[in-house]
Amino acid sequence: MNVSLRTHVGDLALQNPVMAASGTFGYGLDLVEFCPPERLGGVVTKGLSPKPRRGNPTPRIVETAAGMINAIGLQNIGVEAFCRDALPELRRRNVLVVVNVFGETQDAYLEVITRCERDEGIAAYELNVSCPNVTAGGMEFGHDAGTLMSLVARCRASTSRRLWVKLSPNAPYLVDTARAAVDGGADALSLINTLRAMAIDAVARRPVLATRCGGLSGPAIKPIALRMVDEVHRALPAVPLVGIGGIESGRDVAEFLLAGASAVQVGTAIVRDPTAALRIAGELEAFCAAHGVADVTELIGGLTC
Amino acid sequence: MIARHDLPVRVIARSELSPTCFRLELVTGEPVSAAPGQFGMLTCGDGLDPLLRRAFSLAGVRPHENGAIVEMLIKEVGRGTGLLHHLPLGAALRLLAPLGNGFTLADGSGDRLALVAGGIGLPPVLFAAEQLAARNVAFDLYLGAASSAELLEVGRCRSAVEVVGGELVLATDDGSRGEAGFVTAAVERRLAAGRRYLRALACGPTPMLAALARLGATRGLEVELSLEEPMACGVGVCLGCVVELEDGRFVPTCKEGPVFAASRLAARWRA
Repeated sequence: MNVSLRTHVGDLALQNPVMAASGTFGYGLDLVEFCPPERLGGVVTKGLSPKPRRGNPTPRIVETAAGMINAIGLQNIGVEAFCRDALPELRRRNVLVVVNVFGETQDAYLEVITRCERDEGIAAYELNVSCPNVTAGGMEFGHDAGTLMSLVARCRASTSRRLWVKLSPNAPYLVDTARAAVDGGADALSLINTLRAMAIDAVARRPVLATRCGGLSGPAIKPIALRMVDEVHRALPAVPLVGIGGIESGRDVAEFLLAGASAVQVGTAIVRDPTAALRIAGELEAFCAAHGVADVTELIGGLTC
Repeated sequence: MIARHDLPVRVIARSELSPTCFRLELVTGEPVSAAPGQFGMLTCGDGLDPLLRRAFSLAGVRPHENGAIVEMLIKEVGRGTGLLHHLPLGAALRLLAPLGNGFTLADGSGDRLALVAGGIGLPPVLFAAEQLAARNVAFDLYLGAASSAELLEVGRCRSAVEVVGGELVLATDDGSRGEAGFVTAAVERRLAAGRRYLRALACGPTPMLAALARLGATRGLEVELSLEEPMACGVGVCLGCVVELEDGRFVPTCKEGPVFAASRLAARWRA
């Protein structure tokens, strides 16, 4: 059976629904030996700030049951180095690039976008308003509907490119923040980012991570992510969604599409295996073939009740 | 750009080295070429828990049929290493290797190399020793552990050292075998007595590496350290395993290391 994996996030065409999530694929070229980025639906860059960031002290990661907690703290090379060193090659390879944008202030988000506007080859911006691992910016913009709407509206006014907003699962009212992002001008929503979490060393009587808490990812959070995609899709059925959270297989992708996502991002699976995103895209094709799905978009929002 | 993939491997042999340490031999279906100091990321089984691979320095790689046998020396410290300790022979795992950089083995001045291993830091040092022996490059090997029972692979270390006419120095913290005290003190005694080295290559617990970095700074000895940081991806993208360099940058140990010149590391390594 010939399966079409092509999908759309709003008006953006993807050759398949499997993208690499921010923070697990570097700046798009870091894993090129293992996983050619031009074969994925797209890649989301590590969160870029106006200036390079050093990130948090170590330990920054800890494994938990079917998951991991990270507190990297948005270490990144800064938007200028990305545009200069990575973007030209990504363009040459025809990679679908989504730039994940981070700032400690509203102005800093605009600064990243303004710098990116000078270059071709960026399909969309994904506003990171949900990083739990920084003291300023990040999650604080994603928890209050009014603050989020004002940030998104300012970014909206600064670009004609597609604007995605990556939602926090830690926000008290998920649908309210989703609606605020859309009202501010978001074209699509990515969900979910990591869940605030903690690991403790009982012998040492200390938190394992240097920052005390971090963000939980991996298969442990998949049921929560599915519930959140389903919830937002039912509340805002016209809004394109990109599903994220513990995806490890092609069948997992199908589940997110059925819940209402138009595409997905694979994150922690890439941390386990740098070839994972390609493998998962292949498995999705096999799943579709095995279940008589000729066009993967048939699955989107396809729950029967 | 060479395409790389995840190597399917099988456990072909395992032997006990001490009450907590074991040797694992993994057979691959394709050739593997690696340098001492490089490492691999190994799955601990099929499931989602434990989720992450474990990073192990390679203790040796040799051709086998159409592929290779990759050797690791592992200490059982938790669930992942416990699973590896008890897998049946023939069990299928996956391995990303070789990763990271290696030690600088080149000789030059005519002075010997000093190889220094502490406890389960032995694997990259043993790999280096056997490769230097095969190339007939002179070295001394310092092997330290908490006690006699935890001195690993002494016979192989001795054989490698004998090929090049070097000295094997054993040291135990409790004095149960070899010189009593830290292995770095054994190095220092010989330096004080006038022995000269081209370079020291070391792997072991962080306090041992820091002591060696200090020794190198005081005595003008070039020191390369193989660092162990908890790693998630092993390929430089998650930024979990960063180490601070002298210029203040945080760099991933898996990608820019695991071997670093001690002089490149943040000053606290030598303080």
